[in-house]
Amino acid sequence: MTDPHHPEPDPLAHAEVRQAGWIGYVSGYILTVGLLGVALLLTETKGLDAQALLITLSGLSIFLLIAQSMLFFGLDVTRYNIWKSVSLVLTVPLFILSIGLTVWMFHSLNGLMMMPEMPGMPMQPTLLQ
Amino acid sequence: MDASRGSDGPLPPLWHYGETEHDPISTKTLGFWLYMLSDALIFAGLFAAYGVLDQTMNAAGGPTAAQIMHPVAAFWQTIAVLSSVLSYSLATVALKTGNRNGVLLGIVVAILFGGIFIALEFTDFASLFAIGATPDRSGFLSAFFILVATHGLHMMFGILWMLVLILQILRSGFNTAVVTRLLNLRLFWQFQASVWVCVYVFVYLRGTFQ
Repeated sequence: MTDPHHPEPDPLAHAEVRQAGWIGYVSGYILTVGLLGVALLLTETKGLDAQALLITLSGLSIFLLIAQSMLFFGLDVTRYNIWKSVSLVLTVPLFILSIGLTVWMFHSLNGLMMMPEMPGMPMQPTLLQ
Repeated sequence: MDASRGSDGPLPPLWHYGETEHDPISTKTLGFWLYMLSDALIFAGLFAAYGVLDQTMNAAGGPTAAQIMHPVAAFWQTIAVLSSVLSYSLATVALKTGNRNGVLLGIVVAILFGGIFIALEFTDFASLFAIGATPDRSGFLSAFFILVATHGLHMMFGILWMLVLILQILRSGFNTAVVTRLLNLRLFWQFQASVWVCVYVFVYLRGTFQ
Protein backbone atom coordinates (compact mmCIF):
# COMPACT_ATOMS: atom_id res chain seq x y z
CA MET A 1 0.00 0.00 0.00
CA THR A 2 1.43 3.39 -0.93
CA ASP A 3 1.45 6.08 1.72
CA PRO A 4 0.92 9.48 0.00
CA HIS A 5 2.95 11.25 2.72
CA HIS A 6 5.94 8.94 2.30
CA PRO A 7 6.29 8.17 -1.41
CA GLU A 8 8.10 4.89 -2.00
CA PRO A 9 11.71 5.49 -3.07
CA ASP A 10 12.52 4.34 -6.59
CA PRO A 11 13.62 0.69 -6.19
CA LEU A 12 15.81 0.95 -9.29
CA ALA A 13 17.89 3.63 -7.52
CA HIS A 14 18.78 1.19 -4.73
CA ALA A 15 22.50 0.51 -4.29
CA GLU A 16 22.05 -3.25 -4.78
CA VAL A 17 20.43 -2.63 -8.17
CA ARG A 18 23.13 -0.10 -9.09
CA GLN A 19 25.96 -2.50 -8.19
CA ALA A 20 25.21 -4.72 -11.23
CA GLY A 21 27.87 -4.36 -13.92
CA TRP A 22 28.48 -6.41 -17.03
CA ILE A 23 32.29 -6.17 -16.77
CA GLY A 24 32.35 -7.99 -13.44
CA TYR A 25 29.81 -10.61 -14.56
CA VAL A 26 31.56 -11.34 -17.86
CA SER A 27 34.95 -11.49 -16.08
CA GLY A 28 33.50 -13.92 -13.53
CA TYR A 29 32.13 -16.07 -16.34
CA ILE A 30 35.39 -16.14 -18.34
CA LEU A 31 37.47 -16.76 -15.20
CA THR A 32 35.27 -19.62 -13.98
CA VAL A 33 34.86 -21.42 -17.31
CA GLY A 34 38.53 -20.81 -18.19
CA LEU A 35 40.00 -22.02 -14.90
CA LEU A 36 37.68 -25.04 -14.72
CA GLY A 37 38.85 -25.80 -18.29
CA VAL A 38 42.46 -25.60 -17.06
CA ALA A 39 41.53 -27.90 -14.17
CA LEU A 40 39.99 -30.35 -16.65
CA LEU A 41 43.14 -30.28 -18.82
CA LEU A 42 45.39 -30.83 -15.77
CA THR A 43 43.25 -33.82 -14.77
CA GLU A 44 43.04 -35.35 -18.24
CA THR A 45 46.73 -34.99 -19.13
CA LYS A 46 47.72 -36.67 -15.82
CA GLY A 47 50.90 -34.56 -15.65
CA LEU A 48 50.76 -34.30 -11.84
CA ASP A 49 50.57 -37.03 -9.22
CA ALA A 50 47.31 -37.43 -7.34
CA GLN A 51 48.29 -35.41 -4.27
CA ALA A 52 49.81 -32.51 -6.20
CA LEU A 53 46.75 -32.44 -8.44
CA LEU A 54 44.37 -32.42 -5.45
CA ILE A 55 46.28 -29.52 -3.85
CA THR A 56 46.37 -27.60 -7.15
CA LEU A 57 42.66 -28.11 -7.81
CA SER A 58 41.73 -27.17 -4.22
CA GLY A 59 43.73 -23.95 -4.47
CA LEU A 60 42.15 -23.21 -7.82
CA SER A 61 38.60 -23.71 -6.55
CA ILE A 62 39.23 -21.56 -3.44
CA PHE A 63 40.56 -18.82 -5.74
CA LEU A 64 37.46 -19.17 -7.95
CA LEU A 65 35.08 -18.97 -4.98
CA ILE A 66 36.78 -15.80 -3.71
CA ALA A 67 36.73 -14.32 -7.24
CA GLN A 68 33.02 -15.16 -7.60
CA SER A 69 32.22 -13.61 -4.22
CA MET A 70 33.59 -10.32 -5.51
CA LEU A 71 32.73 -10.42 -9.24
CA PHE A 72 29.29 -12.08 -8.99
CA PHE A 73 27.99 -11.33 -5.49
CA GLY A 74 29.76 -7.96 -5.38
CA LEU A 75 30.83 -8.47 -1.77
CA ASP A 76 32.75 -5.54 -0.33
CA VAL A 77 32.77 -3.38 2.79
CA THR A 78 30.29 -0.71 1.70
CA ARG A 79 27.33 -0.26 4.02
CA TYR A 80 25.05 -2.26 1.71
CA ASN A 81 27.30 -5.30 1.59
CA ILE A 82 29.38 -5.25 4.77
CA TRP A 83 27.06 -7.58 6.70
CA LYS A 84 26.97 -10.06 3.83
CA SER A 85 30.79 -10.08 3.84
CA VAL A 86 31.01 -10.38 7.64
CA SER A 87 28.44 -13.20 7.84
CA LEU A 88 30.26 -15.10 5.08
CA VAL A 89 33.62 -14.75 6.84
CA LEU A 90 32.03 -15.94 10.10
CA THR A 91 30.52 -18.96 8.31
CA VAL A 92 33.79 -20.09 6.71
CA PRO A 93 35.00 -21.80 9.95
CA LEU A 94 31.78 -23.84 9.92
CA PHE A 95 32.59 -25.12 6.41
CA ILE A 96 36.13 -26.03 7.46
CA LEU A 97 34.97 -27.71 10.67
CA SER A 98 32.11 -29.68 9.14
CA ILE A 99 34.02 -31.01 6.13
CA GLY A 100 37.57 -31.12 7.54
CA LEU A 101 36.75 -32.68 10.91
CA THR A 102 34.42 -35.28 9.37
CA VAL A 103 37.03 -36.43 6.87
CA TRP A 104 39.75 -36.39 9.54
CA MET A 105 37.66 -38.41 12.02
CA PHE A 106 36.75 -41.06 9.49
CA HIS A 107 40.32 -41.16 8.23
CA SER A 108 41.56 -42.02 11.73
CA LEU A 109 38.70 -44.51 12.20
CA ASN A 110 39.79 -46.16 8.99
CA GLY A 111 43.28 -46.65 10.43
CA LEU A 112 41.96 -47.84 13.81
CA MET A 113 39.27 -50.21 12.67
CA MET A 114 40.32 -51.70 9.34
CA MET A 115 42.40 -54.84 8.99
CA PRO A 116 45.79 -54.43 7.33
CA GLU A 117 45.66 -54.67 3.60
CA MET A 118 45.43 -58.26 2.33
CA PRO A 119 47.16 -59.44 -0.79
CA GLY A 120 44.74 -59.28 -3.68
CA MET A 121 42.41 -56.95 -1.77
CA PRO A 122 43.58 -53.44 -2.64
CA MET A 123 42.20 -50.69 -0.45
CA GLN A 124 41.59 -47.25 -1.81
CA PRO A 125 43.31 -44.49 0.21
CA THR A 126 41.05 -42.13 2.16
CA LEU A 127 40.88 -38.46 1.25
CA LEU A 128 43.79 -37.62 3.56
CA GLN A 129 46.19 -40.27 2.24
CA MET B 1 22.98 10.48 5.65
CA ASP B 2 26.10 9.48 3.81
CA ALA B 3 28.45 8.16 6.49
CA SER B 4 31.34 7.90 4.04
CA ARG B 5 31.54 11.67 3.50
CA GLY B 6 35.03 13.12 3.74
CA SER B 7 36.35 15.06 6.73
CA ASP B 8 35.58 18.41 5.06
CA GLY B 9 31.84 17.63 4.80
CA PRO B 10 29.36 18.08 7.64
CA LEU B 11 29.59 15.48 10.38
CA PRO B 12 26.79 12.91 10.40
CA PRO B 13 24.36 13.45 13.30
CA LEU B 14 24.54 11.09 16.26
CA TRP B 15 20.86 10.28 15.86
CA HIS B 16 18.00 11.26 13.61
CA TYR B 17 15.09 13.16 15.03
CA GLY B 18 11.75 11.93 13.85
CA GLU B 19 11.00 8.87 11.77
CA THR B 20 13.58 7.01 9.76
CA GLU B 21 12.35 4.63 7.08
CA HIS B 22 14.00 1.24 7.09
CA ASP B 23 15.38 -0.06 3.83
CA PRO B 24 12.88 -2.69 2.62
CA ILE B 25 15.24 -4.07 -0.04
CA SER B 26 18.44 -4.47 1.99
CA THR B 27 16.71 -6.08 4.96
CA LYS B 28 15.30 -8.78 2.67
CA THR B 29 18.47 -9.39 0.67
CA LEU B 30 20.44 -9.75 3.92
CA GLY B 31 17.84 -12.20 5.22
CA PHE B 32 18.03 -14.16 1.99
CA TRP B 33 21.84 -14.11 2.15
CA LEU B 34 21.70 -15.64 5.64
CA TYR B 35 19.38 -18.36 4.31
CA MET B 36 21.91 -19.05 1.56
CA LEU B 37 24.75 -19.44 4.05
CA SER B 38 22.67 -22.06 5.85
CA ASP B 39 21.97 -23.67 2.47
CA ALA B 40 25.73 -23.71 1.87
CA LEU B 41 26.10 -25.62 5.16
CA ILE B 42 23.68 -28.25 3.83
CA PHE B 43 26.08 -28.68 0.93
CA ALA B 44 29.02 -28.77 3.38
CA GLY B 45 27.34 -31.71 5.15
CA LEU B 46 26.74 -33.48 1.84
CA PHE B 47 30.35 -32.88 0.71
CA ALA B 48 31.59 -34.23 4.06
CA ALA B 49 29.50 -37.40 3.61
CA TYR B 50 30.70 -37.74 0.03
CA GLY B 51 34.35 -37.27 1.09
CA VAL B 52 33.96 -40.13 3.58
CA LEU B 53 31.88 -42.50 1.41
CA ASP B 54 33.95 -42.08 -1.76
CA GLN B 55 35.93 -45.27 -1.04
CA THR B 56 36.24 -48.74 -2.55
CA MET B 57 34.75 -50.29 0.59
CA ASN B 58 31.70 -48.02 0.42
CA ALA B 59 31.30 -48.81 -3.28
CA ALA B 60 30.34 -52.29 -1.96
CA GLY B 61 31.53 -54.09 -5.08
CA GLY B 62 29.62 -51.67 -7.30
CA PRO B 63 31.07 -48.98 -9.54
CA THR B 64 33.65 -46.59 -8.07
CA ALA B 65 34.01 -42.88 -8.78
CA ALA B 66 36.71 -43.52 -11.40
CA GLN B 67 34.29 -45.75 -13.33
CA ILE B 68 31.29 -43.43 -13.45
CA MET B 69 32.76 -39.89 -13.68
CA HIS B 70 33.01 -38.32 -17.12
CA PRO B 71 34.55 -34.89 -16.50
CA VAL B 72 34.63 -33.92 -20.18
CA ALA B 73 30.88 -34.56 -20.49
CA ALA B 74 30.30 -32.74 -17.19
CA PHE B 75 32.20 -29.73 -18.56
CA TRP B 76 29.20 -29.07 -20.83
CA GLN B 77 27.15 -28.79 -17.65
CA THR B 78 29.74 -26.29 -16.35
CA ILE B 79 29.27 -24.15 -19.46
CA ALA B 80 25.45 -24.45 -19.23
CA VAL B 81 25.20 -23.43 -15.57
CA LEU B 82 27.69 -20.57 -15.95
CA SER B 83 25.97 -19.28 -19.10
CA SER B 84 22.66 -19.34 -17.26
CA VAL B 85 24.15 -17.39 -14.34
CA LEU B 86 25.77 -14.88 -16.72
CA SER B 87 22.51 -14.37 -18.60
CA TYR B 88 20.51 -13.79 -15.41
CA SER B 89 23.21 -11.46 -14.06
CA LEU B 90 23.12 -9.44 -17.29
CA ALA B 91 19.33 -9.24 -16.90
CA THR B 92 19.95 -7.37 -13.64
CA VAL B 93 22.29 -5.00 -15.51
CA ALA B 94 19.33 -4.21 -17.79
CA LEU B 95 17.25 -3.72 -14.64
CA LYS B 96 19.36 -0.66 -13.75
CA THR B 97 17.80 1.28 -16.64
CA GLY B 98 14.37 -0.27 -16.15
CA ASN B 99 14.74 -2.03 -19.51
CA ARG B 100 11.88 -4.53 -19.23
CA ASN B 101 12.57 -6.37 -22.47
CA GLY B 102 16.26 -6.68 -21.58
CA VAL B 103 15.41 -8.16 -18.18
CA LEU B 104 12.89 -10.59 -19.68
CA LEU B 105 15.33 -11.65 -22.43
CA GLY B 106 18.08 -12.30 -19.86
CA ILE B 107 15.73 -14.39 -17.71
CA VAL B 108 14.42 -16.41 -20.69
CA VAL B 109 17.98 -17.22 -21.86
CA ALA B 110 18.88 -18.12 -18.26
CA ILE B 111 15.91 -20.52 -18.18
CA LEU B 112 17.03 -22.10 -21.47
CA PHE B 113 20.60 -22.70 -20.25
CA GLY B 114 19.28 -23.93 -16.89
CA GLY B 115 17.02 -26.35 -18.79
CA ILE B 116 20.01 -27.58 -20.81
CA PHE B 117 21.92 -28.15 -17.56
CA ILE B 118 19.07 -30.20 -16.09
CA ALA B 119 18.62 -32.17 -19.34
CA LEU B 120 22.36 -33.04 -19.32
CA GLU B 121 22.12 -34.11 -15.68
CA PHE B 122 19.10 -36.32 -16.37
CA THR B 123 20.93 -37.90 -19.32
CA ASP B 124 23.93 -38.59 -17.09
CA PHE B 125 21.69 -40.11 -14.38
CA ALA B 126 19.81 -42.22 -16.97
CA SER B 127 23.08 -43.68 -18.33
CA LEU B 128 24.16 -44.52 -14.77
CA PHE B 129 20.81 -46.16 -14.00
CA ALA B 130 21.14 -48.16 -17.22
CA ILE B 131 24.34 -49.82 -15.96
CA GLY B 132 22.78 -50.54 -12.56
CA ALA B 133 24.45 -47.62 -10.77
CA THR B 134 21.40 -46.56 -8.76
CA PRO B 135 21.42 -44.67 -5.44
CA ASP B 136 20.54 -47.86 -3.51
CA ARG B 137 23.48 -49.81 -4.98
CA SER B 138 26.07 -48.56 -2.47
CA GLY B 139 26.82 -45.92 0.14
CA PHE B 140 29.11 -44.19 -2.32
CA LEU B 141 26.37 -43.96 -4.98
CA SER B 142 23.83 -42.73 -2.39
CA ALA B 143 26.18 -39.91 -1.40
CA PHE B 144 26.96 -39.12 -5.05
CA PHE B 145 23.34 -38.96 -6.20
CA ILE B 146 22.13 -36.97 -3.19
CA LEU B 147 24.93 -34.40 -3.54
CA VAL B 148 24.54 -33.90 -7.29
CA ALA B 149 20.73 -34.11 -7.26
CA THR B 150 20.49 -31.55 -4.41
CA HIS B 151 22.29 -29.09 -6.67
CA GLY B 152 20.01 -30.11 -9.59
CA LEU B 153 16.95 -29.56 -7.39
CA HIS B 154 18.18 -26.06 -6.58
CA MET B 155 18.48 -25.44 -10.33
CA MET B 156 14.87 -26.60 -10.86
CA PHE B 157 13.53 -24.36 -8.11
CA GLY B 158 15.52 -21.45 -9.55
CA ILE B 159 13.89 -21.99 -12.95
CA LEU B 160 10.45 -22.18 -11.34
CA TRP B 161 11.23 -18.92 -9.50
CA MET B 162 12.24 -17.28 -12.81
CA LEU B 163 8.99 -18.35 -14.46
CA VAL B 164 7.00 -16.84 -11.58
CA LEU B 165 9.06 -13.63 -11.74
CA ILE B 166 8.42 -13.26 -15.48
CA LEU B 167 4.68 -13.26 -14.71
CA GLN B 168 5.16 -10.78 -11.87
CA ILE B 169 7.23 -8.41 -14.04
CA LEU B 170 4.56 -8.52 -16.74
CA ARG B 171 1.79 -7.93 -14.19
CA SER B 172 3.33 -5.42 -11.75
CA GLY B 173 6.44 -3.96 -13.41
CA PHE B 174 9.52 -3.11 -11.36
CA ASN B 175 7.99 -2.24 -8.01
CA THR B 176 9.90 -2.68 -4.74
CA ALA B 177 8.66 -6.23 -4.13
CA VAL B 178 9.50 -7.47 -7.63
CA VAL B 179 12.92 -5.77 -7.64
CA THR B 180 13.72 -7.34 -4.25
CA ARG B 181 12.81 -10.79 -5.60
CA LEU B 182 14.95 -10.20 -8.69
CA LEU B 183 17.92 -9.32 -6.45
CA ASN B 184 17.35 -12.34 -4.20
CA LEU B 185 17.12 -14.64 -7.22
CA ARG B 186 20.41 -13.19 -8.48
CA LEU B 187 22.04 -14.21 -5.18
CA PHE B 188 20.43 -17.65 -5.40
CA TRP B 189 21.41 -18.21 -9.02
CA GLN B 190 25.01 -17.03 -8.64
CA PHE B 191 25.26 -19.29 -5.58
CA GLN B 192 24.49 -22.27 -7.86
CA ALA B 193 27.61 -21.40 -9.89
CA SER B 194 29.73 -21.44 -6.70
CA VAL B 195 28.30 -24.80 -5.63
CA TRP B 196 28.92 -26.21 -9.12
CA VAL B 197 32.62 -25.20 -8.91
CA CYS B 198 32.90 -27.44 -5.83
CA VAL B 199 30.81 -30.26 -7.36
CA TYR B 200 32.79 -30.23 -10.60
CA VAL B 201 36.22 -30.13 -8.95
CA PHE B 202 35.67 -32.41 -5.96
CA VAL B 203 33.24 -34.91 -7.51
CA TYR B 204 33.78 -35.07 -11.27
CA LEU B 205 37.48 -34.17 -11.54
CA ARG B 206 38.69 -35.78 -8.32
CA GLY B 207 36.73 -38.93 -9.12
CA THR B 208 38.99 -39.66 -12.07
CA PHE B 209 42.43 -39.54 -10.45
CA GLN B 210 42.30 -41.06 -6.98
